[in-house]
Amino acid sequence: MTHDFAPSRRRFLATSAATATAAVAAPYVITSKALGDATTPPASDRIVMGGIGLGNMGSGDQRAFLADPRVQYVAVCDVREKWRAEARDRVDEKHGAGSCATYVDFRELLGRDDIDAVHIATPDHWHALMTIAACRAGKDIYLQKPETLTLREGPLMIQAARRYGRVVSGGSQRVLEDYRRIVDPCWAGELGRITSIDIEPGPSSMACYLPAVATPPDIDWELWLGPAPWEPYNPGRCDGNYGAGGGSWRSYIDYSGGSLTDWGAHNFGGTIFAAGLLDLQPVKAVWHPASSDGKAAAYATLVYPNGVDVHCNRPKTLRPADPAATVTHERGITIRGDGNAVPPRPVPAYRGGVSIYGDFIECVKTRQRPFRDLEGAVNTMTAPHMLGLVRRLERSVEWDRAAQRFVNDEEANRLLDRARREPWIL
Amino acid sequence: MSSDRISLDDGFKALAAFDWGADAAPLATIDAAVVACHGQESLTSDLEKRFGAIVGGKASRAAKEYACRKLALIGTAASVPVLAPLLADPIESHMARFALERIPAPAAGDALRQALGAARGDLAIGMISSLANRRDAASVPALGALLGGDPKTAAAAAAALGRIATPEAATALAAAPPAAGPVADAVIDARLACADAMLAAGDRAAAKAIYQALAAASGATPRTHRGRAVRVAAKSGLLACLDETVSP
Repeated sequence: MTHDFAPSRRRFLATSAATATAAVAAPYVITSKALGDATTPPASDRIVMGGIGLGNMGSGDQRAFLADPRVQYVAVCDVREKWRAEARDRVDEKHGAGSCATYVDFRELLGRDDIDAVHIATPDHWHALMTIAACRAGKDIYLQKPETLTLREGPLMIQAARRYGRVVSGGSQRVLEDYRRIVDPCWAGELGRITSIDIEPGPSSMACYLPAVATPPDIDWELWLGPAPWEPYNPGRCDGNYGAGGGSWRSYIDYSGGSLTDWGAHNFGGTIFAAGLLDLQPVKAVWHPASSDGKAAAYATLVYPNGVDVHCNRPKTLRPADPAATVTHERGITIRGDGNAVPPRPVPAYRGGVSIYGDFIECVKTRQRPFRDLEGAVNTMTAPHMLGLVRRLERSVEWDRAAQRFVNDEEANRLLDRARREPWIL
Repeated sequence: MSSDRISLDDGFKALAAFDWGADAAPLATIDAAVVACHGQESLTSDLEKRFGAIVGGKASRAAKEYACRKLALIGTAASVPVLAPLLADPIESHMARFALERIPAPAAGDALRQALGAARGDLAIGMISSLANRRDAASVPALGALLGGDPKTAAAAAAALGRIATPEAATALAAAPPAAGPVADAVIDARLACADAMLAAGDRAAAKAIYQALAAASGATPRTHRGRAVRVAAKSGLLACLDETVSP
């Protein structure tokens, strides 16, 4: 179902101070910036944006959107005072002092009708709730990867996006960048029909038992946790960026799938896109226990309905010799084909720009589907989520895509989702 | 000490004394036992009883939360009597739901519904959230009765009815008392969800009635982002009802 409405002209609202509500300052002076020029649309034609989650990735996303002349950035939201202030300062530097409102609670930002679109870069446990709320508020969304934390979230997010006619882009910019060396030969047909893949996903997330530390005054801990189980504040629980073995929130199961889904969104993203699996989900995940002599570690195989097997962390000793039709990527990816000629396909490009950010903005304006459209992102994330599940259960599972449930597997179906802490409801 | 040398009994002794910041290595024995017990009823039942003793005993919040996480995976109706009393406790309620929400036994749903009857405020919203996730059709009358009450609870009840999305849920939403703001928005979102579910199930007439009602009402709303999004949803739904090849 396509939804075909163009955003109406926006009235540029000037604020005289960083306030929580947009107010028209009096008198309103039309600045030269508001009128636009040869490279910058007039303010009334710009996409009005806000950001939710302005930490490491969020600040990078914000910088990219601030640099786009089609964007008028007006609001930031973060539960940490320092990141709110820094994000606000970046906007003020671009648009002038007092240009940016700050919020702690994302619902207040989403409640602003002057905002057309938001970018979201909170920890993963917030992604689904915020995306669905933003869809209901009529916003378009740029959502950092991994787009989902559980298997149940993806279909609900897609329902909301399609129901309300929203543009929702996932944030895997690496598919068309780092992974071109596998995308191009696959799409050119050089490998023929793809037959099998080996990929090296990182570790899954784990439980967190860090001790309680006094909560500093500059973080809203209740809102940081949100729907996740209450656990005491500890900087090791919520700080850090990419630590997999306990170095950051990405290590912990309540907030993330671990490096498995974090880097997995990129590795699976590039691989699945290259191999033409973006419209598919695995039909089963097969668990291969470690060999009894201890020489081969356990691994899993995701079986796709078109016959492609994606082996995850398969020991090299168990891999066959690569056929001639093989491409590799230094991040541990090997894609094999049957070598029979298949017609080449042109690799889709970002729309209206050279980056995934520009692609999103162009799609907000034209109402086209973005490069990392939500359906493709959810299909992609199904792979690492399913892998994480079989790692946890240490056995195989079978997936019913239509029902979005595991077949005859009550135990696996208990892992589709998790209870959210009140008052949050999906 | 390597967790391999710790017996399950010692693992549970460590769990009974566990708190955040303590050495978690002994818990690995329990983790492994939960994985290994799949398909073995007597082992699962033994573990379930042990976790129940932790939940119902004097262990720390951290220890009880660990036990609730495991009961989410292996709990049965047998765990409902020890989990249900925690639903009324503001500290323990969420983790009790963490387990109950995923226990498929009808007794778990019964416990959540019963707790909803007595709960207020955020605790009530917690029960509602879990009933929504269970798509608990039996809770529709109770949820419908909440639509005219406290606004936050009413909005949550509406959201839950939208997740359950049965014809009875749609009827309850259609009968919701007039509301404004977040409650009105939640009712509209839920009615759209019900209509989409009806359309997907092939009941075009019922879906069309909802889309028509919402499309007509949305014509009077301000031209806000939210208003436009609702109009898009309602009108797209109507179009889908007209064309049998199109689904939402």
